[in-house]
Amino acid sequence: MNGTTKPVLSDDHFTRSAGKQLGLYALLALGVLAGLMTLLSFLASGSGGGASGGAIDVENNSITITLRQEPPQLDSGRSTDAASFGVLGHVMEGLLSYDKAGRLIPGVAERWEIREDGATFWLRDNAFWSDGKPVTAHDFVFAWRRVVDPETGSQYAFITYPIKNAEAITNGDLPIHTLGVSAASDTQLEVIFEQATPYFDKLVAFITFLPAREDFFKSTNGRYAADADMLLYNGPYVLTEWVHGASMRWTKNPYYWNDEKGFLDEINVAYITTDVNAKLNLFKDAQIADTDLVAPMLPEAMERRWHIDRFMDGTVFFLEFNHREGRITRNKNFRRALQLAQDPSELVYKVLKEAAYIPAESLFPSWIQGAGDLFRKQHPPIKHQMNIEKAREHLELARIELGLDTWPPIVLLSGDTPVSTLSAEYYQELFKRNLGLELRIDLQTFKQRLAKMTSGEFDIVLSGWGPDYDDALTFGDLFSSWNLNNRGRYDSAEMDGYVRIAQSELDPVKRMQAFAEIQRLSYEDVVVLPMYERGWSFVVDPRLDGLIRRTVGPEVDYTYASIKK
Amino acid sequence: MATHSKAVLDFSPVGKERDVQTLSRPSLSYWQDAWLRLKANRRALVSLFLVIGLLLFTLVGPWLWRVNPAAQDLDQVSQPPGVDRSALIVAPYTPWLAGEVPGTGFRLAEPATTQSVRLAWDALPGAQGHRVYRNIFPVGAERAYGIPRAEFFDNSTLTFEDRLDVKPGIYYYTLVGLNDDGSLSSETSSLTVEVQRVTTVAEARERRLVASDAALAPGDSVELALHPLGTDYLGRDMLARLMAGARVSLFIGIGAPLCFVIFGVFFGSVAGFIGGKTDQVMMRFADFVVALPFLLFMILFKIAFGIGPGESGVMPMLVALVLLMWPATARLVRGQILQIREQGYISASQLLGAKTHYLILRHMLPNTLGVVLVTLTFAIPSAIFTEAFLSFIGMGVAPPTPSWGSMSNEGIKTMLTTPHELIFPAMLISITVLAFNLLGDGLRDALDARMRNRE
Repeated sequence: MNGTTKPVLSDDHFTRSAGKQLGLYALLALGVLAGLMTLLSFLASGSGGGASGGAIDVENNSITITLRQEPPQLDSGRSTDAASFGVLGHVMEGLLSYDKAGRLIPGVAERWEIREDGATFWLRDNAFWSDGKPVTAHDFVFAWRRVVDPETGSQYAFITYPIKNAEAITNGDLPIHTLGVSAASDTQLEVIFEQATPYFDKLVAFITFLPAREDFFKSTNGRYAADADMLLYNGPYVLTEWVHGASMRWTKNPYYWNDEKGFLDEINVAYITTDVNAKLNLFKDAQIADTDLVAPMLPEAMERRWHIDRFMDGTVFFLEFNHREGRITRNKNFRRALQLAQDPSELVYKVLKEAAYIPAESLFPSWIQGAGDLFRKQHPPIKHQMNIEKAREHLELARIELGLDTWPPIVLLSGDTPVSTLSAEYYQELFKRNLGLELRIDLQTFKQRLAKMTSGEFDIVLSGWGPDYDDALTFGDLFSSWNLNNRGRYDSAEMDGYVRIAQSELDPVKRMQAFAEIQRLSYEDVVVLPMYERGWSFVVDPRLDGLIRRTVGPEVDYTYASIKK
Repeated sequence: MATHSKAVLDFSPVGKERDVQTLSRPSLSYWQDAWLRLKANRRALVSLFLVIGLLLFTLVGPWLWRVNPAAQDLDQVSQPPGVDRSALIVAPYTPWLAGEVPGTGFRLAEPATTQSVRLAWDALPGAQGHRVYRNIFPVGAERAYGIPRAEFFDNSTLTFEDRLDVKPGIYYYTLVGLNDDGSLSSETSSLTVEVQRVTTVAEARERRLVASDAALAPGDSVELALHPLGTDYLGRDMLARLMAGARVSLFIGIGAPLCFVIFGVFFGSVAGFIGGKTDQVMMRFADFVVALPFLLFMILFKIAFGIGPGESGVMPMLVALVLLMWPATARLVRGQILQIREQGYISASQLLGAKTHYLILRHMLPNTLGVVLVTLTFAIPSAIFTEAFLSFIGMGVAPPTPSWGSMSNEGIKTMLTTPHELIFPAMLISITVLAFNLLGDGLRDALDARMRNRE
């Protein structure tokens, strides 16, 4: 029977023709796809969209930038996040503001006077709201009363506590009008202090002290600052467009008084993204004016001959211990053992490799000003030396004190950003190798981590603290027993005593000595283990001039930026 | 009656010869035949060897390559495979108390090593401070100096120690003067530095780079630890991590399908054989399970298991896979059983008095075995892929335990600068998945009873 061979032949034939057909389909599909792509890219370039004009538009005197996050809302009384601070820094102005070098300069206040019992601010008469009406002292009184109003529920109410009765009002013990702030006239603002506050001028440059106008606030029916037209502006720019989740447009404020700020006609926030790789690509395509560079991007940046710059954002990161009752980390010998078994410079130089980071040596960052000179120059922190032998001795002491046979696993709470996870994995192996401790890493999103820090569900947490105002106290009072940001509930009478001195001492030298004691105590009592001071490497389009990255105030400041002619 | 006697002589008994029925080829069982056909399929055979190789890699590998996958070698972070490893022994690092440094101009205070590069300079003319840059390319006319490493806003500091990720090779340092307001002046000075890879006696001993009794002094040369496939972002050995990761991947990849296929076969054959109302109810239940979302259940199981922070999520993953993935097999087997039940040989067997269990075990299951084996081999790659995906999004293993998926996740962050951290785990995932798929393909052809006499 030849039927045995024939099917094989036809099989073969079938396979071949099927293959041919498949190939044809594949080719056709590829062709259609390529055509579609060209068509799409043609359409995209034709319509332009939000990114019209690219990074720098010389003709319209405008630039295009990105934001890391969208502000939840722009009510200065309730804002707590860096994204809101960044936007408010461009569209609003407080009594004082900062110059290019980060020094305090007059804002709405023309001049001011700080006394032991209070302060007076004389407001300029050419400061206007974006509807043309003047900014008056009443606007500040209204705004500050709102901050302490328990109904507002501001998380930053504590920052106003130097003002008389602020704390009592926030706790609901006194009526709002008893707040120690009043308008002597339209242009004179009087403040009465609860206790002497020598750094009050630095404080009022902070977002929480921005003004708000009562009649406009009432007209918004509770939607204040939720949209572009629900806010009055008094800064160099006004928000003219706010597409939630997508983009923003800042336009030059015609009523703004200061000629030295706001040179651009328009700033387009075309993208809101945390993705540094996406931002890098946009920058390469000249779609945005500046971008941050993380360590793996640096070789490419060097190859492209970019002018890389860097700045410190002022934040200090540290391993914070849980000092609550019943936690192993409450034991001082245990904390000392961990302290002696690590070296921040190894973390920064060999593991994180971020060019703009510096290994932290103290709770106080290196840029903090002391009395006349840098604080850290006048009061150098204790030089840390890694010593594994001693660390093991302390660990053994801790084990005996706690009456443990073996060490239970220690929970290390960490954020889910690449740098946090990297640090967490490094510490996990470091403490295992040097001390034989088992660390369990609990990776959480920012909000979850904050919730767990507040409720105390951790042994050690990777956390950071950024400055609110330009004074050592913004770090100094962090571990006082009454500070709610003291997430490990560190409680020591000695620390509280020094913090009280730092808050009210008028002699700057004595005050700095109190901070030096806080610095010493935080090392000797191992309150935290400093890791690094954060900085950013970044690159700016060479056609843009005057972009400032700040330690205190809005992190990226375009108010002095202009296009090179 | 001569004719008669002749007839007697003409015929004689044939005797008991039975070689008429002799088979020209040896008798083949179902499995022998399948194996023959599998052997003829080259693709499937190569895949089979790949799978065997993979199992050896996972089970025998860690016995041969005894490196702790969690150990961090911070001297060799993100090292690609096959780089020069010789290092000079130097004294342990001590902080630099920069005093007077001999020489003039922008200069090195000490020979540059991977431990530190110590720079000193004289104040540039007119400078109110200095900024030090580091570049890996020569600075050209663009004046792109590279990475800013440090800045000093007065002339009291004229030294700088660079310890940031210093690698052996050539660096181009540039010193730029600062104006009063902190802006860059046009005064610059540059220095080309060649960095020598070094290590210390203590580190060499700790990492067992030399025999424990060997004398070692600064100035000697040693080879740093060998990492055949390079290291990852924390200096951990890639080969050891790939082996450890394979254990997790294959545990899920083989364990889960094995469990759910067995359950699926049992469920499907019961439903198919009993039929009627029972079949209806059972299959509707299977449909219900299909509709359950896998990811959600994975998270629910993680919570229900009380998997705390920092603990491995591999067990809930296994349970979720087993509990949610069986209906596909069950349906397939039920269909087969329904079909086979109506076949003639089953009726014949029944007429000859075969019992139910005999029918199922002798006739039905062997006939579905081909299908089952094929589902199994196809389920393995999909389970491996699920594991890789879940670990990739951070739902799977907890650090420092590696898995191919979590390794890819880490590798993708530095894809452009150190591609080997992504390529190796990604390649292993691809090869494994492809090998199991091709093997499944080959098995389907080989085990299909209807293909038996095709060649």
